[in-house]
Amino acid sequence: MRLPSILRTGVFQLTMVYMALFGASVAALFIFTYWSTIGSIERQSDSVIEAEIRGLAEQYERRGLPGLVEIIRERVRRDTQGRSVYLFVDSSLRPIAGNMAYWPQELNRSSGLVSFFKINADGVQIPARARVLTVGQGYRLMVGREINELALINQDFRRALVWGIGLTMGLALAGGILMSLQAQRRIARLNRTTRQIIAGDLSRRVPTTGGRDEFEELTQNVNAMLDQIENLMAGLRHVGDSIAHDLRGPLTRLGNQLELLAAEAEPSREGLTMCAEQAEGLLATFNALLRISRVESGAYRSAFAELDLSGIVSDICELYHAAAEDERITFSSEIEPSIAVFGDRELLAQALTNLLDNAIKYTPQGGSIVVRLIQEADSACLEVADNGPGVPAKDRERVFERFARLDQSRSLPGNGLGLALVKAVAEQHGGTLEVADNSPGLIVSLKLPSKQP
Amino acid sequence: MRILIIEDDKDVASFIQSGLQQSGWNVDHADNGKDGLFLAATESYDALVVDRMLPAVDGLTVIRTLRASGIQTPVLVLSALGEVDDRVAGLKAGGDDYLVKPFAFSELSARLEALLRRSGEHGSTQATTVLNVADLKMDLLRRDVSRAATKIDLQPREFQLLEFLMRHAGQVVTRTMLLEGVWDYHFDPQTNVIDVHISRLRAKIDRDFDVPLLHTVRGVGYKLGGDTN
Repeated sequence: MRLPSILRTGVFQLTMVYMALFGASVAALFIFTYWSTIGSIERQSDSVIEAEIRGLAEQYERRGLPGLVEIIRERVRRDTQGRSVYLFVDSSLRPIAGNMAYWPQELNRSSGLVSFFKINADGVQIPARARVLTVGQGYRLMVGREINELALINQDFRRALVWGIGLTMGLALAGGILMSLQAQRRIARLNRTTRQIIAGDLSRRVPTTGGRDEFEELTQNVNAMLDQIENLMAGLRHVGDSIAHDLRGPLTRLGNQLELLAAEAEPSREGLTMCAEQAEGLLATFNALLRISRVESGAYRSAFAELDLSGIVSDICELYHAAAEDERITFSSEIEPSIAVFGDRELLAQALTNLLDNAIKYTPQGGSIVVRLIQEADSACLEVADNGPGVPAKDRERVFERFARLDQSRSLPGNGLGLALVKAVAEQHGGTLEVADNSPGLIVSLKLPSKQP
Repeated sequence: MRILIIEDDKDVASFIQSGLQQSGWNVDHADNGKDGLFLAATESYDALVVDRMLPAVDGLTVIRTLRASGIQTPVLVLSALGEVDDRVAGLKAGGDDYLVKPFAFSELSARLEALLRRSGEHGSTQATTVLNVADLKMDLLRRDVSRAATKIDLQPREFQLLEFLMRHAGQVVTRTMLLEGVWDYHFDPQTNVIDVHISRLRAKIDRDFDVPLLHTVRGVGYKLGGDTN
């Protein structure tokens, strides 16, 4: 059952509509041609009859009945081809003159032009058109013309019309079937690939034909989308892997310690406290992960409002000032007043907190940290600069990844999630996060659009 | 003291219940909003711990219904991180404090104690202009602090910090509670930022005196004043 499935395709249905439209326009074209050719000839022939009637009526006025009879006879004699039809009858329809043997009944119906079939002596029917002129008391004169050639052309024309429309429809149908078969084949290819992808094979791609039509465009878009999805999936898997990897270590340690404690007759309070602290650290890591994915999910965006970023930055600087000084780090801030952004107060505060946590962690005693908030053309720029060890150029992209910990920082406490959260916060606010060299040290700049995104 | 826990997660509920019972509280538990609402409305409790997401009737509806029927029992709202944990919505519904899961038991118990204290002092707090803890005295109108008649100079933020501690005298306050109450930010401070502020405050109010007032409660937070329950 091939045909029914074709009939169901959208392309074929479209073809059917086109076919109907095409048929209608061909018919309209024929009708117009008919009107302007055969119709015109008919009208011409009719006007000849009218003119003849007028002429004969005039002759009757001038020369009376005998004159009219004579003229009719003269006309019949001169019409060697026999195309003109004349018949002059008295009130009882008896022929007086003319080249027709009987008075056709059709003529009694109308006083205008009438079409009828003239039956010859040999019984052949010839189509004719005629008009009647009444003269004197009950005398009637019929003037007409045979239109058998016109009728033949007419017949041919109609046949051509039927064939023409039939052929057009046939071609449209065949073309439609061909087109929909081809479209169906290409869509089937697309469907086959998507089904394979649904089945789990993300590496599949829809074969391209190299053309430039919309199907090819769709194919390329689908493939590009699949690339994107595959990348995201890979990223996700990477995150999942690193979460598993980075949490396995501490969990194993915790498990081992608890096992040892369980084996002791009287578990030491110190050991238990240590275990509790480790569990708390793990919990904090999970919370940080959850918070990052929550920020990335855009859940906070609905609560975004216009904020005084200068105020938030001042608050957090004030909060961290003492902590930095305790580490013998010079802490200074340059904050332009009343810089407004559109966002979430807690998230932005948390982001700056993470940046300052990092700065304090990596800046050696005697070092300095500078926080700067300046208004740029169309964004607010928040910078945290330190003169710690900085980040080698090759690692600058990697520092934003979850659990990205550079070799030099492995020994320091931390879960490697701080900058990942800042990055997520920056992105949710339509901003950017970059790290640069402070030679020596690191500059992290967070740029947030000034206006509502 | 009698507490009602409305929480559908059995593990969380029994964890809170056993913890509170060990501290000598009387604890009831309802595992859905409907039963919880019924118990809260018919029995007399000193505080409620209500989870936001509950079967049958959700937590915020429970609180709203209670408040609408004139029951003013203090409520601590619990919410899992990843839910729509809009703090404002929780507090608007009539909750008194808000805690995001997962949390340490010490955090919960500190907040619950603060809630109970607040409701116990109802009426008298409004008019308070002077706070006293042992020989430490804070005049809220003149904005000055003295200990044993010695004037102590405090920075504005130190003043706020001490005010918060004095209002919660004798209770354990966590670092998160301090960040919320004094700085008005709601996240877990990673480094020791709060500790540094506390140690500066401690230097001013304790260093020159024999009896220390500001105690560190290991693994939980701080406590101002002795065991004046």
